Amino acid sequence: MSNTIFKRLGLLFLVLVLSVVMAACSEDETTSTNADTDTDSGSASTDTDSSGLSGEITVWAHPYTDGSTGEGDMWKTFASDFEAETGVKVNFEQIPWANRDQKILTALAAGQGPDVFYVIPDQMPQYAEQQLILDISQYVTDEELSGFVPTAIEATSWKGKQYGMPILQTAESLIYNKDILTELGVDENSLPTTWDEFKALAEKAKAAGYYAFSYAGGGSLNNTLYPFLWQAGGNVIDEDNNILINKPEAVKSFELINEMYTKGWIPQDSVTALDHDSLYLGGKLLAINGSGISVNRLLDEKPFEFVIAPPLKDAEQLTYGTVGMFVGSAISKNPEAAAEFMKYVTNTENQRTFNNITQYIPTRDEAKDIFDSQQYMAQLAGYTEFAKPGVIHPEGRNIMPLVQAEIQAMLEGKQSPQEAADKAAEAIDKLINK
Amino acid sequence: MTSTTSKQSFSARIKRELNKNLLVYVVLIPVIIHFLIFQIYPFALSFYLTFHDWKIIGDPEFVGLKHWKNLFDDEIAWKAIWNTVKFSIYYIVPTMALGLILAVIINSGVKYSGFFKGLFFLPVVTSFVIIAGIWGWLFRGTEDGFINYLIGFVGIDPQLFLSSSSQALLVLAGLSIFKVAGTTMIYYYAGLQSIDRQLYEAARIDGASPWKIFWKVTFPMLKPIHFYVAITTTIGSFQIFDSAFLLTNGGPNYSTTTIVYYLYHQGFTSLNLSYAAVLSYVLFFIILIIALIQRKYIGKDPNYY
Repeated sequence: MSNTIFKRLGLLFLVLVLSVVMAACSEDETTSTNADTDTDSGSASTDTDSSGLSGEITVWAHPYTDGSTGEGDMWKTFASDFEAETGVKVNFEQIPWANRDQKILTALAAGQGPDVFYVIPDQMPQYAEQQLILDISQYVTDEELSGFVPTAIEATSWKGKQYGMPILQTAESLIYNKDILTELGVDENSLPTTWDEFKALAEKAKAAGYYAFSYAGGGSLNNTLYPFLWQAGGNVIDEDNNILINKPEAVKSFELINEMYTKGWIPQDSVTALDHDSLYLGGKLLAINGSGISVNRLLDEKPFEFVIAPPLKDAEQLTYGTVGMFVGSAISKNPEAAAEFMKYVTNTENQRTFNNITQYIPTRDEAKDIFDSQQYMAQLAGYTEFAKPGVIHPEGRNIMPLVQAEIQAMLEGKQSPQEAADKAAEAIDKLINK
Repeated sequence: MTSTTSKQSFSARIKRELNKNLLVYVVLIPVIIHFLIFQIYPFALSFYLTFHDWKIIGDPEFVGLKHWKNLFDDEIAWKAIWNTVKFSIYYIVPTMALGLILAVIINSGVKYSGFFKGLFFLPVVTSFVIIAGIWGWLFRGTEDGFINYLIGFVGIDPQLFLSSSSQALLVLAGLSIFKVAGTTMIYYYAGLQSIDRQLYEAARIDGASPWKIFWKVTFPMLKPIHFYVAITTTIGSFQIFDSAFLLTNGGPNYSTTTIVYYLYHQGFTSLNLSYAAVLSYVLFFIILIIALIQRKYIGKDPNYY
């Protein structure tokens, strides 16, 4: 056994040990597998097709629906059609969303794992900087990328290189409880479009005994601070590591959140709450920033009538929306086939199938016609042009808890919005210059 | 000459011991192999990693004491250590006390003791995620949270609970006590069952009150159980992770960020596996020191096992 293999094996054990420490957390996470679960990684086979590709690849993705049988069948069809087209065998494995990082990193550390896996934009630059994922620029032509929504391509590339092929998008926008609007005497066709208009409505809702908005302060900043920060014309950090979070525009978003909390427009537990779904579904919240998942839940459970409004605007009209993508493993033994599969699964027709079943928004404009007969999804699909996929930076995910802690201290009344922003900037500076 | 003799007698002793208990050692081989591969080897390797930078793919690069030095400048790490110590203070004694009280109740000959045994043990076998969900609902920091609703009847203002830096860790400790007390109860119950009945009879004949019997007979006779439970709850308290992960994400403002939560974040979110290894060693040394202290002051009695 060579020294490298010996070390690699050892390091796998280290990751395993760290994983075991977390076992208590993961024990209750369910793994539902409704498709083939062969985990062998890209070993070569003798089959060769006219495509010039051969061998096999392993694909890992999480469940996108709550156990829909259509999802399992979809992956089986994708795998068999790709195999028929290229001669490359596809082993699909479904992994849980929770603790996916652990599973992927453990596998990659062992030199195993998937050839293709699913990530979101704030993971992508981190993985790219760590050289964990494949630069697929050499396998994808400009023409092949031309049919995608520009924001989706932006979210899947880093420092001029293409790392992922986008399969889905979301766009968050304000979803109002129509019953409360009626009670407040507000016409659904003249809903707030600016911060000032929203503040006036929030005050009205509060006076009538409702919360105006949800703010899950213990959750991701993508759903809390960032939409307001971008709307105010601010940003967190740029590609050249200039920290912008304590600039006047950005501080306006801290001030808005502080105002919402002190005036009781958002619930008292907004400091660490992880969701306010029960309050919203219970009819105690005027509006949330919701995506397709929220819309489908409202359509299924029908707690009240609702109306979707466009994202708010202060200096700019922006909101958060993720871009889900498939990336290739940097240690794939079959990178060409991996890239080909990523292109195949994100082509227009397959995006139609995938997003129709999962109810996400396609990343190709052409495929968005699946929502022609679905009023609400079509409306949200129209807002993807305003959607930013988070802080695209290798430290994007590490910045979040630092900023979140300062906002929490602000909401607890321990510091002003400017102080919170300054301390957040200081913490980010320390992180990126360590 | 003396040394050779002693060596011979040592090897003879080993040989004799092996011959005597050969079957035991053969049976233990798989466990020993498992222990070496999955405990000792990673333990040593993670120590190696604390002196290296590792990007997961590729070979680790030697960086000396860089990661250990970072620990001393890392305010969040120290806060996490302090939070974990505070959590232990909130958790260890109440868990032991509650376990003992529950064990005494079911050992007292109360009617339907089997039912109570099951009831008290129920949280142990219930999924942590479900218990945490219930806890989150009970301690929701809005006026319609259940506990806030109850305390409203006695004129107490709604509390923020998980959204308050001063209350969140206490609420999480309460959750862990609720979850684990059933296990502690079983240990104490086993201990109570093993106490010689004659001791109680003698105490009663001497006219001791039930209270005195508890403190002079029951409590001291449970010393081995106290020691075992103290060690296991201490280790458990320093490994606390899931409640902060599920309910507060380490907040507000790091007030529920514990060592393991921070270790997890460094390892799997920030991909700083070497620094996570340093933190795991910090955790190891803390638990080791506490176990040694407990051993010295509680477990020095040769009859503790």
